[in-house]
Amino acid sequence: MSRDMPRTELLTIVGVRHHSPACAGLVREAIERLRPAHVLIEGPADMNPRIDEFLLGHELPVAVFTSARQGMASRASWSPFCDYSPEWIALTEGARIGAEVRFIDLPAWHPAFAERANRYADAERRYTQAVDGLCRTLGMDNSDTLWDHLVEIDAGEVPSAELGARLNAYFDLIRGAVDGGRGTEAERSTDEVREAYMAQWIAAALRSSPERPVLVVCGGFHRPALLRRISELSFPAELPDTSWPEVPEPEPDTVAVSYLVPYSFRRLDAFDGYQSGMPSPAYYQRLWELGPRGAARSLTEDVVERLRKRNQRVSTADLIAARVTGEGLAAVRGHRHPGRADLLDGLVSALVGEALEQPLPWTGRGGLAVGTHPAVVEMVAALSGDRTGRLHPDTPLPPLVHDAEVELERHRIPDSGVLTLDLTVSPRRDASRLLHRLRVLRIPGYERASGPDPAAEDSTFTEEWRISAAPDRLSALIEAGGHGPTVELAARGLIGERVLSRQGLDTAAGALFDAVLCGIDDLSSQVLSGLADSIASDSDVEALGTVLTAVLGLWRHDRLLDAAQSATLGAVVGGAVARLLWLLELVTGGAGTPAQPRRIAAVRAVRDAVRHASGPLELDAERAGAVMTRIAGNDDAPADLRGAAFGFGWSLGTPPPDAERTIRAAGGPAVLGDWLAGLFALAREQCLEEASVLMVIDELVASMTDHDVLVALPALRQAFGYFPPRERETIAGQVVQLHGGADSGRALLRGRIDDPVALARGRELDSHVQAVLEREGLVG
Amino acid sequence: MTNDVAEKRVQRPAAEVRYAGELARLRATDDGERPPGWALSLRAARRFILGDEAAGISRKFVGDASLIDRALVSLATSRGLMLVGEPGTAKSLLSELLAAAVSGDSTLTIQGGAATTEDQIKYSWNYALLVAEGPSTRSLVPAPLLRGMAEGRVVRFEEITRCPLEVQDCLLSPLSDRVLAIPELSGEDALVFAREGFNVIATANTRDRGVNEMSAALKRRFNFETVFAIPDFATELALVEQEAAQLLTGSGVAVPPRRDVLEVLVTAFRELREGRTERGDSMERLSSVMSTAEAVSVAHAVGLRGWFLRGDAGSASDIVACLAGTAAKDNADDLARLRTYLEQHAGRRKGAHWKEFYDSRHLLPG
Repeated sequence: MSRDMPRTELLTIVGVRHHSPACAGLVREAIERLRPAHVLIEGPADMNPRIDEFLLGHELPVAVFTSARQGMASRASWSPFCDYSPEWIALTEGARIGAEVRFIDLPAWHPAFAERANRYADAERRYTQAVDGLCRTLGMDNSDTLWDHLVEIDAGEVPSAELGARLNAYFDLIRGAVDGGRGTEAERSTDEVREAYMAQWIAAALRSSPERPVLVVCGGFHRPALLRRISELSFPAELPDTSWPEVPEPEPDTVAVSYLVPYSFRRLDAFDGYQSGMPSPAYYQRLWELGPRGAARSLTEDVVERLRKRNQRVSTADLIAARVTGEGLAAVRGHRHPGRADLLDGLVSALVGEALEQPLPWTGRGGLAVGTHPAVVEMVAALSGDRTGRLHPDTPLPPLVHDAEVELERHRIPDSGVLTLDLTVSPRRDASRLLHRLRVLRIPGYERASGPDPAAEDSTFTEEWRISAAPDRLSALIEAGGHGPTVELAARGLIGERVLSRQGLDTAAGALFDAVLCGIDDLSSQVLSGLADSIASDSDVEALGTVLTAVLGLWRHDRLLDAAQSATLGAVVGGAVARLLWLLELVTGGAGTPAQPRRIAAVRAVRDAVRHASGPLELDAERAGAVMTRIAGNDDAPADLRGAAFGFGWSLGTPPPDAERTIRAAGGPAVLGDWLAGLFALAREQCLEEASVLMVIDELVASMTDHDVLVALPALRQAFGYFPPRERETIAGQVVQLHGGADSGRALLRGRIDDPVALARGRELDSHVQAVLEREGLVG
Repeated sequence: MTNDVAEKRVQRPAAEVRYAGELARLRATDDGERPPGWALSLRAARRFILGDEAAGISRKFVGDASLIDRALVSLATSRGLMLVGEPGTAKSLLSELLAAAVSGDSTLTIQGGAATTEDQIKYSWNYALLVAEGPSTRSLVPAPLLRGMAEGRVVRFEEITRCPLEVQDCLLSPLSDRVLAIPELSGEDALVFAREGFNVIATANTRDRGVNEMSAALKRRFNFETVFAIPDFATELALVEQEAAQLLTGSGVAVPPRRDVLEVLVTAFRELREGRTERGDSMERLSSVMSTAEAVSVAHAVGLRGWFLRGDAGSASDIVACLAGTAAKDNADDLARLRTYLEQHAGRRKGAHWKEFYDSRHLLPG
């Protein structure tokens, strides 16, 4: 080692587990002992110029929220800190002793974090095999129990050097197993990119202070790799370069913003799978503050209080049993004090006196499963805690937060209470739009209790909102700031994103209705073409029909929300009609399947669009007519669709050349009813006016054999269901006349079904028939 | 004792006989604190059940390690241990292992059933002696509970919820006051006080007549531990393979079961048990029990069919033939569900065995 080389023995890397109180204690001890010139922390390097923001005096937990937006796609990620985070201790303690404190990891928008929503997730969680092997060897349920066993429980009594050695051995073992080829290539490369970058900062710190110690606080998983990289650096060659590494800039088309947000234990505990870190923040907060005995006591109190609040009986005997069992478990497992799992296991043994439907959540991986025992749910909730952080008032906030405050003030929206808005008055309608925009941005505390539904025909003109002061409103607003600088722009951005998310037509339609409610009429052309794509790629006739019906209704009638004749909705109508015409012609087969009302409704929606909107929207009515004629004549198409297609042109004012002949050709008894259902759904009035229709049907039914009538009856019944009662009476009258009777049809319609005895007999007969059929295996 | 058993060709010796060597080794090296009346320390008992490769102790129970911890600690306290769970989750095996570890004896067993009486639990009489001499300790025939209390051993009570409620309740005072009264005797003999080391391990099945059938008073005297089906595919497969191989060797089959065939079997069992396929399709769960134990017995039957009918290791079509008897039993609905599973889900899988499995669906009866 030449004299020019920086002395790497001045470098200390504390490899930590994020959010571990034991590791936080180690970091504090190391800073006190070493008095380093530099404290380098695994964290977003682009926040270095703003490191003072962290030291304003927040109430933890807080997080750095980063949003990266590229075109219409955006991605959010968090770097959470709590009182016992080793990174937080490094930051605050380092600053206190006057060290230079810097973050040394890549910014959160960097592609290396593409799959990460939580920067401080456990890296080793991605290499389950390596950790699982260790758990099996030591007879532990999972890595969290293992961690408590190895590190947390006796951290207070073990000398730091020994604890540090234990940690290093643990992480070396896991890293060794991973580097031995068990991790996948892609995962390792993102780790390598980050490690290479962090190593540059460490090298720069070593160069800039050749005489004084440098302390690095990073995930223990990275420590072996960083040490290796530093030892491989050839310092003399690089020595002249004393500058700090550059912080990468995002691509020109990417907008990345980072802000501090108030965070909560609930959210910290809500990460799961690869995103998760240490569970049970409330427990570890107490472990940090009170030590293992105090944490156990206060946690037990908390659980009991929660259970008693839910009127669950928790006797003193139960508490004694829980305590004894917990201590016993700690002894069996070789713990000096009861750890998290010992405590929980003891409580469950004592308090749950029945079979569990789901395994205990702390024995496995992942969150609470449906069916978890309620007492267990309360225990997990007590361990998770409900602490929320608060930012210092001087913390910079994104423009959207200020915009929201101004807008809420301007529209005189109270902080809490029930607000009723009359939508016919323009300023109140604007207030409603603001509230809808906040709702779309998922700002908690703005709940719409009632109001007009754009998808339904509704006559209400007032809207009722329940506004409550939600504790996480501020953090939601800050995070919504990632979507745009004002409430309107952010809502527009988010709605566009939802339309483009390609999660199917229902999502896109929901987003579109939200756009109407938010008063956002000028969705960008990109969104419109995305919506057109989404319609064009959907192949569900029934869903498309529903959307078309609703959108067409809005487009034609909506004065209340100002959506009538809107270009956005017009584009949707046009796209949906074109797509439906294409899809309907492709529907074939299913001759035996009964009529499907939603499919028929889709044909009707197309008809309505052609009837009411073909002029202004330039729909191709001629093509629609031609497609329907082809479907009507296509023997492979289902009967209901053929009937509907036949009624399509008729209802639009083109009477068929020979309706009678077509009805005769419609099909045998098995399909006649279905065919008629389609026809009546579209051209009911026309059929009523054309007397020959009824005559032909009457003739067809009269010529059926008894068996045929039985087969045809249910479908026929469904078909005539399209007529309202008054018209049914007219039809009945005509039938009576056809058969030479003189009565009105009323008697025929009612039959004798108002006689309860007859009705009961009929039912009895029906069920008898059903029983016989079942006995003979004729029905399933 | 081991030799006796070997000579008598016992089908299934008790756990303390099967693992006599391991227990002796553990006792010899056991330096932990033993709860009063226990044959092993808690940690040694844990190693006996969960295994310790370095010391040559085999793993006998596949499941959460923490379950064993809780069970052992419960046994060391003043409450009994109640193992509940679906049938076939190795509750009885676990209770046998626990008793063998704690008392060195797993034979004090009461088998619960509709016809179980207090006599079979506490004590009965040698009626010839009773008539000749009157009640005395000579004419008394102790049943497992009395023996367990007098000798300070663990008593196993299998399927406790299948016993009538009033019979179950005769456990109340032995569990809470740790004393059993024999009113027919007088003086010192009239009360049997439990020696240290006595406790009760009960098992109950959540499928037939649930644990709700227990009185609240009795429930309070037990710590409940739920035993779950094996959550992890690889572990379950390994277990089925190991157990089936052992059974097949015992039945004189010379070839081990094929792993790829067992994969089909275990996957099908898990999917039918959970009502969800690997790719996430939901389907109807079978109402009969699709436990690991059942999977082992199907694997055994598959191996027997293959070997004795054709001389091979058994194939996927044998699974179908055996499934009808296990999975569907006499339930027509389950048979229909099984057929749907074969038709809709098995057909989609890739691989020769899945294809064979699918192609043999006609082997299902009906």
